[in-house]
Formats: sequence, structure tokens, C-alpha cells
Amino acid sequence: MSAAPIFEVKNVWVQFGGFSALSDVSLAFQPGQLTSIIGPNGAGKSTFFNVLSGSIKPTAGSVFALGHDITRMPQHKITRLGVAKSFQITSVFPQLSVLDNVRIAMQGAGRRFDLWTKRDSMIEQIDKAIEVLERVGLADRIERTAGTMAHGEQRALEMAMALALQPKALLLDEPTAGMSPEETRDMMDLIVGLAAERTVILVEHKMKLVMGISDRIIVLHHGEILADDKPAGIRANSEVRRVYLGEES
Amino acid sequence: MTAITAQASSTSWFTLLARRRVALAILALAALLFVAPYEALATNIIIYGLFALGCNLLLGYTGLLSFGQAAFFGLGAYGCGLSIVHGGAPVLVALAIGVVSAIFGAALIGAMVIRSRGIYFAMVTLALGQCVSAILYEADFWTGGENGLRGIAASVANFGVFKVNLVDPTQKFFFVLAFVALALILVERLLASPFGITLEAIRENEKRVIACGYDAQATKWLVFVLSGAICGLAGALYAIHLSIVPIDIVNYHNSGLVVMMSLLGGINTFFGPFIGAAIFLMLEDVVSKFTSHWQLVVGLLFIALVLFFPRGVWGTLLARMRSRS
Amino acid sequence: MTLDLILLQTFTGLALGSILVLMALGMSLIFGMLTVPNFAHGAFYMVGAYAGVVAFRLTDSFVAALVCAPLAVALLGFAVERTLVRPLYGRGLDYPIVLTFGLAYAMIEIIRILFGKEGIPFETPEFLQGAVSLGFGYFPLYRLFLIGVCVVVVGALYLCLEKTKFGLVVRAGANDPEIVRVLGIDIRTIWMLIFGLGTGLAALAGLLAAPMRGVTPEMGIPVLVEAFVVTVVGGMGSLAGASVAGILVGVVMSLTSLFSPKFAELSMFALMALTLIIRPRGLFGRPGLTG
Repeated sequence: MSAAPIFEVKNVWVQFGGFSALSDVSLAFQPGQLTSIIGPNGAGKSTFFNVLSGSIKPTAGSVFALGHDITRMPQHKITRLGVAKSFQITSVFPQLSVLDNVRIAMQGAGRRFDLWTKRDSMIEQIDKAIEVLERVGLADRIERTAGTMAHGEQRALEMAMALALQPKALLLDEPTAGMSPEETRDMMDLIVGLAAERTVILVEHKMKLVMGISDRIIVLHHGEILADDKPAGIRANSEVRRVYLGEES
Repeated sequence: MTAITAQASSTSWFTLLARRRVALAILALAALLFVAPYEALATNIIIYGLFALGCNLLLGYTGLLSFGQAAFFGLGAYGCGLSIVHGGAPVLVALAIGVVSAIFGAALIGAMVIRSRGIYFAMVTLALGQCVSAILYEADFWTGGENGLRGIAASVANFGVFKVNLVDPTQKFFFVLAFVALALILVERLLASPFGITLEAIRENEKRVIACGYDAQATKWLVFVLSGAICGLAGALYAIHLSIVPIDIVNYHNSGLVVMMSLLGGINTFFGPFIGAAIFLMLEDVVSKFTSHWQLVVGLLFIALVLFFPRGVWGTLLARMRSRS
Repeated sequence: MTLDLILLQTFTGLALGSILVLMALGMSLIFGMLTVPNFAHGAFYMVGAYAGVVAFRLTDSFVAALVCAPLAVALLGFAVERTLVRPLYGRGLDYPIVLTFGLAYAMIEIIRILFGKEGIPFETPEFLQGAVSLGFGYFPLYRLFLIGVCVVVVGALYLCLEKTKFGLVVRAGANDPEIVRVLGIDIRTIWMLIFGLGTGLAALAGLLAAPMRGVTPEMGIPVLVEAFVVTVVGGMGSLAGASVAGILVGVVMSLTSLFSPKFAELSMFALMALTLIIRPRGLFGRPGLTG
């Protein structure tokens, strides 16, 4: 039984000046899977991530998400389709409270141009926001100013914001960057839990992290697909090992 | 034990007051009438305070620095004045026409500038504001051009059930205050709404807001129009206040002044713009009696604020009160 | 409305455009390198004219004034960047704008205190008086001279930026300040030099404009707006854009005044509005600054 792919990338090229960040990449992603995109630095992982999430428009080729052609679609519309992403560099609303950060993500359709309702009276939304924060372990810090929290906490907040969007697909760009081993473990556990309910596509450069949790691993190198297989197959792949030699962390 | 209870109650006094900030603001502004040396200055202060409030909706809350808000102040003033001079409109209708004129202007200009980011935005708004000024200047058959619009006969405001005598400075002050109070209530409501927090989110991290599914351009356009409406109301009230509209209220000098007032008060605060307007205008009143070089003081004030005192007077005060509670 | 008249007016536009080009070049340089739109640019233009007056009084030579005045203002620019603008980097993009805006007030008032409110007459230097026949009419020699100076300056700037090491660093730094820092070059000195160069260009424009427009403390106020319009039309941070747009705006304004003087000033705003609607980044602008 093969469902329609949730994401599809067809013959995508991304070129900056004379340099090709992605060369003729074609991939399809099935719903419900946890896919990891790995590769050494400069392989094109971030570029691919940005093409998938819609923040970079490809020089050539097309991108489809949830049945829609998103190649030229503005970023905010892509989010509304059900695609949530996290940023490589922590990106929250620093001067606002943790709770407000999540509530903004939650405001979604219908509330965006509400100029009249008092936010403080929106009990249902506040409760839902706290629920999401409980999921990432930040429910005891809802009044904290986001910018004053530790790096790991801010990453968790970002995850909460992504979840608050109730996405069908979650795109995560190096979610454990800059985290301690303990924080990394917590984050990976969280991701596995989330992947049970939705499609997750993960970009990482630490191969070890993703081996145990992924349904599928895609290895990029110099803007092209080097390997595309289940974890066992990737582990056995000599090409991959050669490329990663000395870069495994 | 005493220390903890004392702390607990001081948290509540600050929060309690903060929750009633609109009422307190209106009271403070009403009291201004008795603090200011003469009524016209008090009226001027609350008008410019309103103007600065409109400017700060963009600057402090959304993070957009516009150097062209005087265009909407001017459209409000001319719209109101022209409808009285050439159309014989009653005061209340004239005010409404002024606000609507400003809204049209802001909608049009907003659509042009909203794609410009940050520093580019400041430049483009200044230039477009100057464009409005040039148009109003050249249309001298209606606007009076260089001489300004004269003879705005606004002696009575008819509310139906009662009349306000606008020739009496005290009654005029309270008439203006009524509209300022209305604006304060509406702005407070706006800031407390989902849209209000969206504005702050745009200021904090526009890319993030877009990634959360918001059309940031549309939001910015809307707040630009709302700001224009507030600035337009201030301008319309100004026309009633002075009974003339001088042409130089539309140029970028005035736009800059209102940015300065917001900064002086504190752009991160709700009431800062009014504090800034009060300090600035009262300072001008005093300093101008001693020297004709007030502009130098203005320039140095700008520089000093930016370099040493970016939080402004009210902003610094609030921060201290908050940390103590 | 003869062709001759139109051609003559076009040349007038070139002269006006030359002033605009010099202003816009200075503005684009400062914006390109420092990401600061200099809201005091008009004030530096005005100070340049006054510096020229002083230099002329001291040396009795227009050419000497043309060299010394911009240099003196450039030095002022160095000082301003070093003491006032530099502390604001990293504080948020808006602060340098407000600072330079306030600086303009202070500069204008100081000039009023030093030289009075009335303004100073500035005669066209003798050796540049008179008119030259261009075939389709007589054109003031001084304005031809103006156009010539502009061409020379643009050429020199181009050579400097394209062919010298300094120029290479400037262009690299405009693209990516980090790289330049990593290479061990002191980017801060470059900033200071660029700010001085930019304000020096504004000063040159002010002095060149003096015989045509007069020297008053307020002379820079409308010029700031003109510089902004040219920068928007040409594209922020682009020197080619500043040059082309400056000429374009100058010619459009001059030709419009031929048909309807009232609309002359408005025509430049119309150009700007058109640019904002059709191509927001300007003729040669970088796409990153607009949505």
C-alpha cells in the first residue's frame, strides 16, 4: 500500500552565482516516516531543508507539499498547509514570555486579524498552550522571558512553537545544535515521540544520533544524493563511510 | 514574614496600577491642564502626545521606524480644515473627514512602503511624506500653499445633547482630551488583542512570525493604516485647536519631532509618547524664552538620547519600578 | 517647444543630475559599507558650501576651495563616525538613523550661530562665467564645468573601487564584513574612511551647487529628500544605481519644469513611487532589502 507522498522534490537545482548548492535532486517522502538528511558540512543539507520548507525558491525544478505545488508559494502559506519548521539558529521572540511565544504560534487561522478580543480572557487557548509546553518540559516556566533562558530551553521552546502549529509535517534543522549530551538525549526522545504521530524530516550532521531512530536516511554530498536507504543499508555503505571518515562526531 | 508580605503587596500595587493604565493616563492628562503654564500648551501637549502614540504604535510595538507620519497628521489637519473652510462642515463631521483622509493616505503609502525593510523603510517614508507635503503645497488654490489654510471657523462642537464652546480654552482642552481618551482606550484594546501581540512578534523576529503562518506584509500594512488614523486624528484636532493649518506641520521635521518625543518618553512603553511630548513641548516653551537656538538643543537632545538614554524617561522609570516590585 | 529648447533643458538636467549623483554616491557608499542611511547628509552638503566660502575667502581660489572644503568636511566626517556613529553599531538598525537626524539639527544651528541666519551670496568664479555655444543653444559654462567635475569624480571613484586594494576591501566589506575582519584588515578604519569619503562627496556637491542655489543654513534640507529619492530609484548601496538614477532624476525634473514648473518637484516623487511599485529594489539594488 503506497500512499501519496507528503513531500516531493522534482529535479531541483539551487544555484548561487556559479555555484550549485543542489544539483538535480529528486526525492519523495512518504507520510508518517522519520527521515534524516545527513551529510558533511557544505553537502547542501541546509539548502535542501530550506527548499523543502519554502524559504529558498529553487533555481529550477518543483517542490510539492501535502498535494500542493509550493515552488513559488509564499512562506506563510506553506506553514498554513501544515508544514512546521524549526530554524538552525535558535529563533524565538526574545522579549516575549514563553507562554506568549507559544500562543503566537497557536493563533493560527481566524485569530490573526482579531483586533478586539482580550488575550487574557482566551482561557482555552492558554490551556492548550500550557499543554504543549508540558510536552517539551517548559510548563513550569511560562512567564519567563524567552531571551533569558538557556540555549537548550530556547530550543525546546522552538519545538513547542512548531507543535503549537499542529503540523502534519515537522521539519527540523539540526535540532540538537549546541546542546549538552543530556539535552541532546531529551530532544531526541521528544522527536521520536513526535514522529509517532506525524511525518518528521530531520537534518543532522551527526550520523550516530539519527541511526537508531530513523526509518530512512538520505546522505547528501556536494549537492547530490549519495545514498538513500534504511539505516542498516547506510551503515554498510562504503561510499558513505569514505565520505564521513574523520567527520563522524 | 513582614518582608515577604511587603513584597507581595508591592507586586500587586504595580500590577494593579498597570492594569488601570488607561484610566490613570487619562487622569494624568486631565491634570496636565493645571500643571501647564497655559491651556493652549496643555492642549498642544495632548495633541502631540496622541500623534506620538500613533508613531509609537509603529516604532515601539511593531519595530518600524517611520519618518513620514507628519504626512498623515497633515492629511488629518487639511482634511478637517478644508471640509470646514470649503464645505462648511460641523466640527464632528470635519474631524471624521480628517481621519478618513489620513486613512486613505496611509493605505496608499503603506502599500508602497511595506515591502521595504528596516533602514530602507525610514528613508522611503521620509521621502513619501515629503511628497505629500509637496502636493499639499502645490495645491495652493485649496490649501493656501505656503501661507497655510486659514480661517477654520470652529467655535462650537455640537454633540446633539450638549454643545461645547471651543472658543473657551478650558472647554477646548477637554473636548480634545475626550478624543485622546477614546484613542487611548482603543489602542489599549488593540494591544491586548491577538493582533497586538502579533505586532510585537514582528518586532522581535519577523522571519519567525512568517514561519508561524502569518502574512507579515498584510499585518504591517494594517498597523501602518491604524497608525495613520491616529496621527490623522491628532492632526484634525490640531486644525480645530489652532483654527489654521500651517504648511510646515507636514514636513519631515515634524515627523522627526514625533519620533523624538516617543524616544524621549520611552518607545517600549504605552504612556511614554505623552511623557515625551510633555517634556519636549514644555522644555521648548522654557528654552525659547532664553535663546533663539532651540534647534541646537533639539539636535543635542536627539544625540544624547540615542547614545546614553535609549530607554527614555518613562521607560527608565518603569523599569526601576518593575524591578523593585 | 522646440527640440533645441528640450536639448538645452536636458543639459540643465545633466547639471542638476550631477549634483544629485555626487550626493547619492556619498549616501550609497555610506549605506553600502556601514548599513547606515546618513540622515545628516544634507547637513554635510550645506557645511561643504560654507567650508567652501571660508576656503575661498582665505585662498581667493575657487579650485583651492574645491579641494580643501571637501577634505575638511571629510575630516569632520571621520570625527563624527568615530565618536557618534560607531558606538551604535550592533545596537539595532534604527539608532544611527535617529542620531544622524539629530546631528543635522545641531549642525544647521551651529552654522546659524557662526554665520548668521541670512545666508551668504556666492558668485560664480570669474573664469567660469559666461556661456558656451553647444550648437542648439548657449549653455552656462559653469554648469558644463559641474558636469565635468561629476564625470571626473565618478571615474576616479570607479577606478579606486575597481583597481585598488582599498577599493577591493571596500567592495568585499560591503558584501560581507566578517570576511574582511577575518583577513586581519581593520574594518573600523575603513568605516571611518568611507564615512569621510561619503560626507566629502556631499560637501563637494554643496560647494558646486553654491553659485547656482546660494548658501544658506537650510540649503541641505530639501537636498536630503532628493538624495533619498535618487537612492531609492537607483538602488540602495549601488554606485552604478546612484550615478544612473541621479542623472535620470535630474533630467526628468528639468524636462518636467519645462512643461509645468509646479510638477517639477512632484515628478521625482512620481519616479520614486513608480520604482517602489514596479521594482522595489531600484534599478541596480540588491534584492535582500525588499520583500
